[in-house]
Amino acid sequence: MIKKKICMVGAYGVGKTSLVSRFVNSMFSEKYQTTVGVKVDKKVVQHSTGEVTLMLWDLAGEDAVTTVRPAHVKGSAGYILVMDGLRRNSLGVAIDLQRRVSEAVGKVPFVCVINKADVRESWEMQQADLDDLASRGWTVVETSAKTGAAVEELFDTLTDRMMQEPHVDDSTADAVAG
Amino acid sequence: MSTTPPLRDLGKEDGLNGGSGGDYNRLRELLVGPEQSRLEELQRRLDDRQLRTEDLSQIVAEAIALRARRDHSLQRALNPMIEEAVRISVKRDPAALADALYPVIGEAVRKSVANALSDLAESINQTLERRLSFESLKWRIEGWRTGRDFGEIVLTRSLGYRVEQVFLVHRETGLLLQHVARSNEVLDSDMVSGMLTAIQDFVRDSFGGKGGKGMRSVEMDDGLNLWAQHGPTTILAVVVSGTPPPELHDLLQRTLERAEAECAPLLTSFKGNATGFAAARPLLESCLLGQQAQKIAKQSRFFFAAFAVMVLLAIGLGFFLIARSHRRWDYLVERLRNEPGIVLTGADRSLGHYELVGLRDPLSTDPDKLIRAYGINPQKVTSRWEPYVSLDGKFTLFREFEAEKIALEQTVLRFPLNSAQLSAEQLAKLDDIEVHIFKLQNDGIAIGRKFTIVLQGNTDPSGDEAKNDALSQMRAEVVQKALVSRGVSPDMLRIVALGSRQPEQRANGRYLTELNRRVRFRVVTENEAVR
Repeated sequence: MIKKKICMVGAYGVGKTSLVSRFVNSMFSEKYQTTVGVKVDKKVVQHSTGEVTLMLWDLAGEDAVTTVRPAHVKGSAGYILVMDGLRRNSLGVAIDLQRRVSEAVGKVPFVCVINKADVRESWEMQQADLDDLASRGWTVVETSAKTGAAVEELFDTLTDRMMQEPHVDDSTADAVAG
Repeated sequence: MSTTPPLRDLGKEDGLNGGSGGDYNRLRELLVGPEQSRLEELQRRLDDRQLRTEDLSQIVAEAIALRARRDHSLQRALNPMIEEAVRISVKRDPAALADALYPVIGEAVRKSVANALSDLAESINQTLERRLSFESLKWRIEGWRTGRDFGEIVLTRSLGYRVEQVFLVHRETGLLLQHVARSNEVLDSDMVSGMLTAIQDFVRDSFGGKGGKGMRSVEMDDGLNLWAQHGPTTILAVVVSGTPPPELHDLLQRTLERAEAECAPLLTSFKGNATGFAAARPLLESCLLGQQAQKIAKQSRFFFAAFAVMVLLAIGLGFFLIARSHRRWDYLVERLRNEPGIVLTGADRSLGHYELVGLRDPLSTDPDKLIRAYGINPQKVTSRWEPYVSLDGKFTLFREFEAEKIALEQTVLRFPLNSAQLSAEQLAKLDDIEVHIFKLQNDGIAIGRKFTIVLQGNTDPSGDEAKNDALSQMRAEVVQKALVSRGVSPDMLRIVALGSRQPEQRANGRYLTELNRRVRFRVVTENEAVR
């Protein structure tokens, strides 16, 4: 019985909640995010080593008044960094968040998500931005909460990375890419 | 490499011949010169301590980090050294380490004292609550009899609470390690566990100080309680219905400590694998205590209320009885002080016992009668009465009446043998008799005592008894007539003919039998039977 805590972080309104709501077991109402600052959901994925239970901590979006609490990300085995293709500023927020989250939890695996892939043609985000992310060595997945595209793969990818040897983590990947 | 020996040989040869040795050296320089200088440089670096230290200093941190990440052997190797270093440091200058630890120690002490105080307050509360309860007395007796801990008995015997669910949660990640519940109808325990941790964080961040561990209890409207106990790496949380006894906190603390101790190896390397924590299941199950909640709780509350009312009533009744007996005593003392013929010199009351001391005229009202009349048990009263003669008017008249009565009853009218005629000498006695009777009459009216005077006629034993009866009747009638003629009311006089019965006690000789030829007077007050 393997259980992993993972966090969903990103700017306010990038669609973190809608990204997971169709693919996970939810028990708590979304108002928890605005009151308590987090909503905990559960996702069971099939992995080659067996069933893995992901406890998804869907954190309140980062904006001018809300900041991510270190206590909420503490103990995460991985995290998902969510951006909105329609809003270029969500990229900056994500880069800043990645730095702060990795300070709080150390170099654990994470996957970078650019949401709203169903309306890719009207994205504010440019190819250069995507190249920038790739040059950081980050794994980028383009998803659509609306169509459900690549959402399952997103969780599978993160699970794969978390289930690898515990000490071979993202830092080495960064080093190779850098 | 195979070409070098000939070259060397060539060189040697040239050297021997003293020929073109410079050429050979030059050639050698050309071929292996750069490598040689590099070798020399390396040799120099290896030999030079300073340089080697510098080199090592550049990579030592990364090397340690890399090794530490791979396994714990470095930590294990360093452990004794660090311990020794700390020991040396403390030995040399304890102040330095104390200064370094000061902020931590202050915080730790503050937290520990705060915990101890809060536990103390709780235990005082519970002691006060329990002090008066009948149940707790019963449990104490049971504990004393069976040698079990009182807290343990409280937990197993207490009604009105029931532990419904127990969660063992990893503190840092909020992941559920183990969960037990009474029924299967529970929400997803994984999510509850995560959210519980999140809310703990939220409460601590929002309201608690930096050092706070989080919520210890949450109470809900419908009688559900969430109690949490925080350990270094885990949280033990229970959902309880009803009103749990405070002893449950102790049990949770002990369970948590045991669970952390038993699962210590798993906890230090916890990476999300919760399989091994099944070992803690029996421990958690031992926390599923209590019995059916609300209904019994109300019932026991009702019994407690009834018991309390009864105790209050008993106390009230006790106070009432004490107050009443005090009032009665006060009234009695007051009455005795005003009673003619009684002089009260001391009246004492202590612990339900009474004492009366004073002077008493024998003619006065009997104090025991008064004590009874005032509703006090005479057994509880010790009295010491010194006799005295009261000068109260009422008693003077009493005494006069008694004196006249005695005087009259001692008077005897004598008759000659076989005669009912009074001699002149005997007739003269009637004057005194008349005075006695009038005085008795006056005093009797004054003291409210009614009486009659019985004239007892007697004869001596000689002769026929029937005749004697007639003679004694005649003798009494003579006296009666004489008195009536002197103005004594006939209603006051009665005649009894005794014949020769009831002779004078001393008249056993013949001479003295004449003393029995007589009429005597008996004063009979209203309640006395006629003799």
